[in-house]
Amino acid sequence: MTKRSDIDLLRNQSGDIWNVAVDEYAQGFLKRRDLLKYAALLGLTGFAASQGLFTGAARAATTGGTVRVGLGQPTKAIDPVTITDPASIGVISQVGEYLILDDPKDGLQPKLAVSWEADETAKRWTFKLRPGVKFHDGRTVTAKDVVASFERLVDPASGSSALSAYKGILSKGGAKVVDDETVAFDLDQSNSNFPFYVSSDVYNAVIVPADYAGDFEKTFNGTGPFKLESFRPKQGASFVRNPDYWGDKALPDRVEIKFFDDEQAQVLALQAGQLDVIPSTTRLELAIEGNPNFKLLSVQASSHDPAHLRTDQAPFTDKRVRRALALTIDREAVVKGLLKGRAIVGNDTPFAPIFPSADPAVPQRKQDIAEAKRLLGEAGVPNGFEVTLTTERAYDIPDYAVIIQNFAKKAGIDIKLNVLPQDAYYGSATFGSSPWLDSNLGITDFGHRGTPDIFLNATLKSSGAWNAAHFNNPAYDALLLEYGKARDLQAQRLAAGKIQTLLLDETPLIISYFSQYSRIVSSKVEGVRFTAISHLLLDKVSFV
Amino acid sequence: MVRPLAARAGALLLTLWLVSALVFLAGQVLPGDVGRVMLGPFADAQAVAELNRKLGTDQPILQQYWHWFSRAIAGDFGDSLSMRAPVAPFVLSSIKNSAALAGVVLLFLVPIGIGAGVVAGLRSGSLADRLIVLTGVSLSIVPDFVSGLLLLMVFGLWLAWFPISGAAPDGAGFWTSSYHLILPALPLVLNLIGYVARMTRAGVIEARGADYTRTAILKGLSPAQVLFKHVLRNALVPTVAVIATQSGFLLGGLVVIEALFGIQGLGNLVLSAAKARDFPMLEAGVLVMAAIFVSTAAIGDLLQALLDPRQRRRNAP
Repeated sequence: MTKRSDIDLLRNQSGDIWNVAVDEYAQGFLKRRDLLKYAALLGLTGFAASQGLFTGAARAATTGGTVRVGLGQPTKAIDPVTITDPASIGVISQVGEYLILDDPKDGLQPKLAVSWEADETAKRWTFKLRPGVKFHDGRTVTAKDVVASFERLVDPASGSSALSAYKGILSKGGAKVVDDETVAFDLDQSNSNFPFYVSSDVYNAVIVPADYAGDFEKTFNGTGPFKLESFRPKQGASFVRNPDYWGDKALPDRVEIKFFDDEQAQVLALQAGQLDVIPSTTRLELAIEGNPNFKLLSVQASSHDPAHLRTDQAPFTDKRVRRALALTIDREAVVKGLLKGRAIVGNDTPFAPIFPSADPAVPQRKQDIAEAKRLLGEAGVPNGFEVTLTTERAYDIPDYAVIIQNFAKKAGIDIKLNVLPQDAYYGSATFGSSPWLDSNLGITDFGHRGTPDIFLNATLKSSGAWNAAHFNNPAYDALLLEYGKARDLQAQRLAAGKIQTLLLDETPLIISYFSQYSRIVSSKVEGVRFTAISHLLLDKVSFV
Repeated sequence: MVRPLAARAGALLLTLWLVSALVFLAGQVLPGDVGRVMLGPFADAQAVAELNRKLGTDQPILQQYWHWFSRAIAGDFGDSLSMRAPVAPFVLSSIKNSAALAGVVLLFLVPIGIGAGVVAGLRSGSLADRLIVLTGVSLSIVPDFVSGLLLLMVFGLWLAWFPISGAAPDGAGFWTSSYHLILPALPLVLNLIGYVARMTRAGVIEARGADYTRTAILKGLSPAQVLFKHVLRNALVPTVAVIATQSGFLLGGLVVIEALFGIQGLGNLVLSAAKARDFPMLEAGVLVMAAIFVSTAAIGDLLQALLDPRQRRRNAP
C-alpha cells in the first residue's frame, strides 16, 4: 500500500486528467506500473524518471565483444519507409531510432523526443525534441528531419507501409515544424493515444534525414547506438559502436547479423556456438528445451489470432450461433497446451489485458458446452451444423484450427478445415478476392500493437479495411468514437468496458489468447532486449 | 560441324524466349499483385495502387512483357523490384555460388561414382558388386533435406569437423570457401552416387561382352590397355550424358540444400524472386537456369561424340 505522502507527491504534476489517474492509483484501481505507463502517455517523462522507472538497475557490465545474431531473410530492400518483415525490423533497430520507444516492460520511453503534450481536444500534439542528437553522418537532427520523416510515411506516393496505421489519424501536412526543437501534429481526429503512433509501435517511424532518398541500404544513416560497418544483401550485416551516440554508449563493440532462409539452420548455428540470439518458434523452443546453454526470453504482447465469423452469412447471421461456437472453446487449455503457457487468455475482444484502457471488470468467457447447445437449440439448429474454417499455414495457426475443430464437435458443430499457404490466404487483401476477407469462418494472425486502436478500427468498424467478420453495428461504431474522444483513463475504460460487453454479446470475433513474443539467446549473453514487434535492442548486451 | 551448332544455338534462343514468356504468364496466375506482395496484406489499398503505378506493374501484361523483353534483348535485365537494385550482380553472384557448390559435388561424385561403377561392372555378381549397387540405391532414396540435416548434426554440430554454414566469411580464399562447401555437397553426392555408379556398371558390363573387347583381348593387349582404351571409353558414354544433365540440376535446382546451408545460389534466388513476385529477378534467374540446362545437355552430347567414334562420323559434314 502506498503511503499518503507519496500520493501527494504524485499530484499536481499535470492537469485534472493526471489527478484522476492518481486517485485511481490511490484506490488500488490502477497498478503502479500502469500509472507510470500512463504518466508516459501524458508526457510526464521527468516524473517517471524521478520514480526510477526508466533506469533499470545499473549493472557493472563488461564492455566489448561481438553480438552474433541470426535473423530470417528480409523480404525486400531494407528501407524504414517500406519494411514489413521481422528481419528488417531487427536490422533497422540497430541504427534507427524513434521519437519514443514503446518498451514492453516500461511503456513509452523518450528517445529523440524528450517530452510531449496534447491540447484540450487531443487533436494537436506537441513534441519537444532532444537537443544535439546527431545522425551517423554528423548532421544534427532538427524538427525539419522529424517532420519530413512523418510526411513521407503519410504520403501514398512514397510506398510507405505505415499508411494504414495513420489512416484517419494523420494526413499529409499534419506534421509541422514549430521551431528547431519542437514539432506539432495536427490530427484528423482527437486521439488520446497519439504518442504510441509516433513510437516504435509504428516500426516505420524511424527518424531519418529530411533529404533521405530511399537508399537506406547504402549508409544505414540513423541516430542509433550502432552504425554501419558493412551490409551484404541476402547475406547479413555488421554494425559497430557509435562513439557519438547521444545516450549511454553501446556496450558491445560490434553486432554481426546473419540472414537465414531456414529456421533449422538457425538453431543448429546457435547450438554450434556460432550465434548468440535467434528468433523463436514453437519448434525451435522444443529443440532447446531443458538445455542450460540457452534461455528463452519472452515479453507479453497484444499479438493474437482472431477467428472471424461472417456476421452477414449463414450460419453466423444469428449471434446466438456465434456465441455458441465461442463457448465451446476451453481457453485455458489452448494457452497451456498449444502455447506452452506463453500466452494469456483472451476474452473475444482486442482489448488485451496489457492495455491500461482495457476494463478488467468485464467477466471472462469460459467454456460452457451445455450453454452452447442451448443457444444452438434456441437458434433453431439443435443438432449443430457444418461449416468450413479457412486459414493460413503460419505459426501455430493450423494446430489452433484443429483444436477449435475438436472443441466445436462437442456442441455438434462440424468444422471442415481449409488451410492455405499464407500468400493464398491473404490473396489480394481486398474484399471479394481474398479468402481472409471473404471466408465464412477464418483465422488470421495479427502482430503486436501498442494500443488496441488499429484492431478496433480496422477489424471491427463497419468501414474497416480488415473487417473479415463483415461486422456492421452502428452501436459499436458510436462507442468507438466515444472511446477515441476519451481523454482520461477512466473515461477510456468506461468506453472500453461498453465495447467489450457489446463484443461479447455480438461475438464477431473469437480471441482465445494473446501470445508472448520470444527470442532464444545463448546463456553467455546478458541484456538482450526486444519489443513484441521484433525490434532487437543490443546496446546493453554483455558477455558472462 | 557448323550447321548442327547453328541449329543448336537457334533452338537455344527459341527455348529461352519461350521460357521467358511462360514465366511471365505463370506470374500472372499467382495470387496478389506485386505492390500487394511487397507492402504486405495489411497495407493500405491506395499505397498498393501507387506502388504498382510506380513499378509499371499496373500496365497491360503484353506491354509489361514487351517493356522487359525489349530491354533484355539489349542485355539490360532491369532492376529487381524487391531489392531495388540492378538484377545482374545478384544473378552473377548466385551463379558463382551455385557453380562452386556444383564443382565440389562433381569433384567427389565423378571419381567415386565412376570408380565404384567400374569395380561393380568388372566383378558383376560378386559380393562387392551387390554391396555397391545396394548402397547406391539405398542412398539415392534418402531425400537431400533428410541426409543434409543428419550430416549437419553429426559433422557440423557433434564432431564440429565442418562449419555449419555453406557461405564462407567475407574475403575467404579458395580453400576456405571450398571447405565450407564440403558439408553441403555431401548429401548431393550421396544422392547421385548410386545413379552414376549404376550407369557406369551397366556400360562396363555391356562393353566387356562386346565384340571389340574380345578382339582386343585376343590381339594380346594388356588388361589395363583393354580396360582403358576399349572398355571404359565405350562404357562411359551414357554416364557422361547422365553427369551432364545432373550438372544442370546441381546449378539450378538445389533450393532445399541452399536454404539449409545458407548458400545464396540460383535455386534460392529464383525461389525468393517468385515469392516476392520480383519479375525482373525471376526472369533473369530462370533464363540463366534454362541456358545452363540446355548447354550442359549440349556439352554432354559433345563429350559423347568425342568418346564415341560412330557419333562423330554421323555428325560429319
